[in-house]
Amino acid sequence: MFEPFVDVVPSFFGWLNQGPLTLTIFLHTFIVLPMIWIYKQEKARLEQEG
Amino acid sequence: MAKKSVWSDNRFWQRSAAWITGFASILLIWLTFDTIPQITMGNDADLQSGVTKRVPGPTVINYKITYEMDKKRGHEIPVIGEKEKFFGRDDWSEEEAAALLHLGKLGSQAKNCMNCHTLLGNGAYYAPDLTKSWLDPAWQANGSMQAMTGKSTKEEAMAEFLQHPSQYPTHARMMPNLGITAEEAKGLVAFLKHMSSIDTNGFPRNFGKIQGAVNGK
Repeated sequence: MFEPFVDVVPSFFGWLNQGPLTLTIFLHTFIVLPMIWIYKQEKARLEQEG
Repeated sequence: MAKKSVWSDNRFWQRSAAWITGFASILLIWLTFDTIPQITMGNDADLQSGVTKRVPGPTVINYKITYEMDKKRGHEIPVIGEKEKFFGRDDWSEEEAAALLHLGKLGSQAKNCMNCHTLLGNGAYYAPDLTKSWLDPAWQANGSMQAMTGKSTKEEAMAEFLQHPSQYPTHARMMPNLGITAEEAKGLVAFLKHMSSIDTNGFPRNFGKIQGAVNGK
């Protein structure tokens, strides 16, 4: 699953982008997780208002 | 009163959009700065000391460039080898080589190569990709293109072709005469040689293995 990093110039994005979907999964996780948190906050707010 | 759903709540979407836009902006700015060391051109000292740069310095035109399979990386990479004469010289100084490459780059823009060709994948899909054209076996000794131009070196054959492309039947889509001068042709060949030495992570894939991908045969 993990292979040695062989890019000419080391880069965080190069390191992330080594396998199929690794970059995509990482970025989606970072985008979706805070949305869950926002969802919970908004839900709590709506319940309070209701 | 009916319970309000978060999904139909405006604030949830507003905050989500703000988060995604903000995150993506920061990521893109970071990516921009992350790219700079990758595309920074090397110099003559790097070449002499064997430091590998994704984009080698202009004096790479003094060296032989080959395209070799790298098992570790799983694709071919340009390998800068021993000295090789380029238009009869292998001692192009950094300034001379940079000036020649600059002339070639301006020439490629003035003659709008990208209107038909792709350079590093950018351009039109009418004519072959030029990224690794320098490494095309057709231009080497005993190659069909070199034989057709009647020249004895790769660079002279390419320069001759560039000056009189409509004389040489290469392809159903023949290259038109663009009025390229001898000096411009020299610059363009240097530009192409330098471009072939750029590590493009194996782009174009399977170069040299696909018949027709390179020289249209």
